[in-house]
Amino acid sequence: MADTASNTIARTAGPDMRSLLRRLAPFFGTPLNAALTVVLLWLMARFGWLLLDWAVLKAAIFPAEPETCVGKTGACWSFVIAKSGQILFGIYPPTERWRAGLVCVLIITTLVASARPSAWRPSLGLVWVAMMVVVLWLMGGGFGLAAVPTSSWGGLPVTLILTVFAIGLGFPAAILLALGRRSNLPVVRTLSVLFIETIRGLPLLSLLLVASILLPLFLPEALLPDKFVRALIALTIFAAAYLAEVLRGGLQSIPSGQSEAAEALGLGYWKTQRLIILPQAIRIVIPALTNTIIVMIKNTSLVLVVGLFDLISSGKAALSDPAWPAPSTETFLFIGLIYFALAFSFARFADFLERSGAEKRG
Amino acid sequence: MLQDARFRAIMAQAALLAGVAALGFVLLTATARNLELRGIPLGFGFLWRPANFQIAETILPYSSSDPNWWAAVVGLSNSLFISVLVILLASVIGLFIGIGRLSSNPLVSGLCRVWVEVARNTPLVVLLIFNYALWWEVVPLATQAWKLAPGTHISVRGLSMPALTWSASVLAPAAFLATSAAILVVASYAARQRQVETGRRPAYVSAAWLFTALGASIFLLAYRDAVSLDIPEFRRANFSGGWSLTPELTTILIGLTFYTAGFIGEIVRGGILAVRKGQWEAATALGLSRGQTYRLVVVPLALRSIVPPLNSQYINVVKNSTLAIVVGYQDFMTVVSTMINKTSHAIEGVAIILGVFLAVNLALSALLNAYNRRIAIMER
Repeated sequence: MADTASNTIARTAGPDMRSLLRRLAPFFGTPLNAALTVVLLWLMARFGWLLLDWAVLKAAIFPAEPETCVGKTGACWSFVIAKSGQILFGIYPPTERWRAGLVCVLIITTLVASARPSAWRPSLGLVWVAMMVVVLWLMGGGFGLAAVPTSSWGGLPVTLILTVFAIGLGFPAAILLALGRRSNLPVVRTLSVLFIETIRGLPLLSLLLVASILLPLFLPEALLPDKFVRALIALTIFAAAYLAEVLRGGLQSIPSGQSEAAEALGLGYWKTQRLIILPQAIRIVIPALTNTIIVMIKNTSLVLVVGLFDLISSGKAALSDPAWPAPSTETFLFIGLIYFALAFSFARFADFLERSGAEKRG
Repeated sequence: MLQDARFRAIMAQAALLAGVAALGFVLLTATARNLELRGIPLGFGFLWRPANFQIAETILPYSSSDPNWWAAVVGLSNSLFISVLVILLASVIGLFIGIGRLSSNPLVSGLCRVWVEVARNTPLVVLLIFNYALWWEVVPLATQAWKLAPGTHISVRGLSMPALTWSASVLAPAAFLATSAAILVVASYAARQRQVETGRRPAYVSAAWLFTALGASIFLLAYRDAVSLDIPEFRRANFSGGWSLTPELTTILIGLTFYTAGFIGEIVRGGILAVRKGQWEAATALGLSRGQTYRLVVVPLALRSIVPPLNSQYINVVKNSTLAIVVGYQDFMTVVSTMINKTSHAIEGVAIILGVFLAVNLALSALLNAYNRRIAIMER
């Protein structure tokens, strides 16, 4: 309808005109589209100009000193530049920051490498265990490195460590829970369902509250882990319940002929699961698993409520420096961009792998 | 006997139960000892003692001399208020985003995509804190408030807008009118069933409609002055009258709605894409316009694949409303946490939090599942 109208015009016009019209058709083809285009262009121009004015034209950027921001009405980027180390690594000893940076690189490399379907074999578990051990050594010290207690960990490494440890520790538990939920044994099934549904019915914040308020009451003082480990326990339990549901989806999609064939070959329950069912089920749920990783990256930001020094808390700490005006909008924008870059690029990468895998198979 | 599968199954389960029981026992004894060592009493008696703390913004009436249980109820009403408003707003906006992402206009689909990606790839905590920081940076003083609509202003004091007010004399007739309207809805539903079964429409339905319409017009005429619009006025550096939301509540509503609308937009888009191409073509062949196609063909079909994920999104809104704590709005969890700090009844307080959230979420999910069963495809 609209296309035919513009085509009629296009046919009577010259070739240049024709291609221009064809390109403009989606924007102005119908009255509704034309109106939307005009209104949106106007809004974009208006807000785009405000943003440009604030973020670039009137902004204070160099040198990265408090005086740069005095008297400027735009963004105070020199603060973000000067404080970026503190925001990224929190209260981690400045001379040891290279270790925290290495931890970030190591974790992101492992995550990216694990998202490739070709990496999904049993040895990946060993890679993760090795990565977690190295991360703990680099962050915590010992064996030749200066010791840094968890109370001094901060910033981006905390976010990443909590994410991969919650997923890495929660995954084996999730496999057991998912198998338990499909088990023929009524006690096992009931306990699994109760655990999964209770955890999934509660806000993560309330689990963190339990970990920070109730664990000290539940456990004898000698056994009480520190704040960091307590938050990690809550996140791990949370991740296990959600991963179990993701895995259950994979398990359900394996035809029953597979386990019947395994049984006919004389394989026991555990061998059937380990050799036949789980490898297929896990492969199916890889896209959903990468999604869970993104959700966990975002969820770790909640630990600020129980007093851990993640990106937001270290940003807040940086803002409390009296030598600077406190440009909180710029700081939180910077932190938001870090999270966005992590989550968005990981999601795109997972999408890309999924699509290229589908093409190969299909 | 060890070779017998049934015997082994029973033993394995017995061992598991014993393990769980032992873990529970160890935790209980350790907890009892810890409580004794610290001299913390156990019991829900504190709920009836005065709360002795303020709640800055409430839907229900509250003062700090009210008992703790009422403070918890007031906190819960704050949480539910946020949840309901966000669910309503985000559903409407999310519907437009989902349709917008499929628009043939690249500008519209591009902007909707930006919205969705920002919402899905940024933690809600960061969005809320950023929003709150932005609020204090850009929102003007009350004297230079932004005027959104007649009587509706945004300033550092918050959002103020007109409110409906009524005198107590309206309540009885209004309740009567609401009851008769409810009866009418039930009656017309029954009448439709009847019409489906017998092919004849019962005559009483039209009479009931007429009666209710008459009642409504009499009510409007008689109580014209009892109901009025209370428009906020600017007096001495602030707006007074009308309905006002604090900056905290406003930023939460904006942040949570932005976030949820992005997710709902993706759900809606997925649902629309799941409608087969043949349905679109059939609708076009029948001469339906694009709007009619959406309203009569696509939306009813898409709803079936939209509702299940939408339900879990709604439950997420209730859970996410707990993040109100990061900008200092006193929701249910913040109120009970304050209570725990003041009375040191940590176990009871956390039990209340967990119990209430489980109850609210289970109730909500039962309600939404019932709706899902109603619209699901009837397979014969």
